Amino acid sequence: MALRITVDIFSGRPNPVIEVEGPEADEVLRRLKPGRKLSGREAAEPEPILGYRGLVIDQTGAASGGLPGHIRYLHGNLFGTRLSHRAEDERFEDFIAGSAGPLRRLSLGEGFPDLFGKEVDRSRKASAEHVEREHHRRRHHHCKCGPLFEPAWWNVPQRQPFNNCYNYATNYRTDTFAQPGLAAGSMYTALNCPSVGQAAVKDDLISTPKANNKCPKEGHLVALVIWPGVDFHWYRKDRNGLWSHKPGGTPVRNVDNSNHLIPDPRTANRGPYTNFCTFMVVMHGHIKIR
Amino acid sequence: MATSKSDKNTNQWIGGALVFSGRPDPTWSVPDLVVSKLESYWAHLQPWVGSLPVTPGLGYRGSFLRDASGTEWHGYGGVLTLRTSKGIQSRQDPARQFEKLVLATAPAGLLPEEVKRASQGKK
Repeated sequence: MALRITVDIFSGRPNPVIEVEGPEADEVLRRLKPGRKLSGREAAEPEPILGYRGLVIDQTGAASGGLPGHIRYLHGNLFGTRLSHRAEDERFEDFIAGSAGPLRRLSLGEGFPDLFGKEVDRSRKASAEHVEREHHRRRHHHCKCGPLFEPAWWNVPQRQPFNNCYNYATNYRTDTFAQPGLAAGSMYTALNCPSVGQAAVKDDLISTPKANNKCPKEGHLVALVIWPGVDFHWYRKDRNGLWSHKPGGTPVRNVDNSNHLIPDPRTANRGPYTNFCTFMVVMHGHIKIR
Repeated sequence: MATSKSDKNTNQWIGGALVFSGRPDPTWSVPDLVVSKLESYWAHLQPWVGSLPVTPGLGYRGSFLRDASGTEWHGYGGVLTLRTSKGIQSRQDPARQFEKLVLATAPAGLLPEEVKRASQGKK
């Protein structure tokens, strides 16, 4: 029984191929014995990218070892016909490129095993980062009706000083430093959650205290916070699923007082605006502020 | 960068604190006598080299003194910056005397406690 292992790594040059047989082939099959079945995102076959894409193992005789005749191994995962499993050896690449590994037999220069090892490490990190990014993207749900995060439009001398957090959160430029309730003749009378919240409802914002940071099907989500007895502040959830805000006449920003992105204003560093009041929905074209 | 002393006879100088988000920032008139004192103080400060201190997004972000012509000083974090039609320059004010003196001219009860604490160098 013999195996043909193709190192799927190059684009222009032919990929290196290693032939193994006898006890060495048995050792390879032992290391590739399928373990637990992969599930969810990890079960998806790797995409064809530039750089290391895995080891392709072909059995040149009858298939054995409980494996199909043609499989791909990448970072501990096995893929093939009816195969999507974790391998017995989760660091099989290290074995291949090790001091006694079959990769040493290739006439690709002394440095190739080290180059291969580095490329495997890079690929492993990139893959982990991709998974993390995807996870982040799914967690923060892009909001299809949310406004675009476009600070450059607001941060210009003719708009920035004259529009505040309420203007920005509602995505409604008035150039008047808009105050909740003023347009409806019912401006807030105290700087607390009920007073400012009710004033905003008079402007036709919709109170959604149970929104729980979820994008509405129509309109976009905003959040009211209070510096008790002193001031109010608003955030808005953008199309990218993250929150941004405009502190008074200062530039629009998408970070909190700790300079962190804002996935949820309830947990952001809000400085003295210690009271989180509620989420509200702005239906585009429905509100009126001044 | 010098400022014209004669301007203050025709200009009304406004002091203020950069602190609010929803409400307009608090502002007040600053007496000419205090403005003269601040101008003299500015004239003796050493230039500031480097990036300006980063202000927080929410909360106290410094005090300012401005006139109708667009001349404005802003003090925060030990650096004082003057903006005029001729340009911008920053000077060192490690004791934040300019910033504090402007705040000290605010009418009683106008500024929130956080600003008073910040002007005294407390968190």
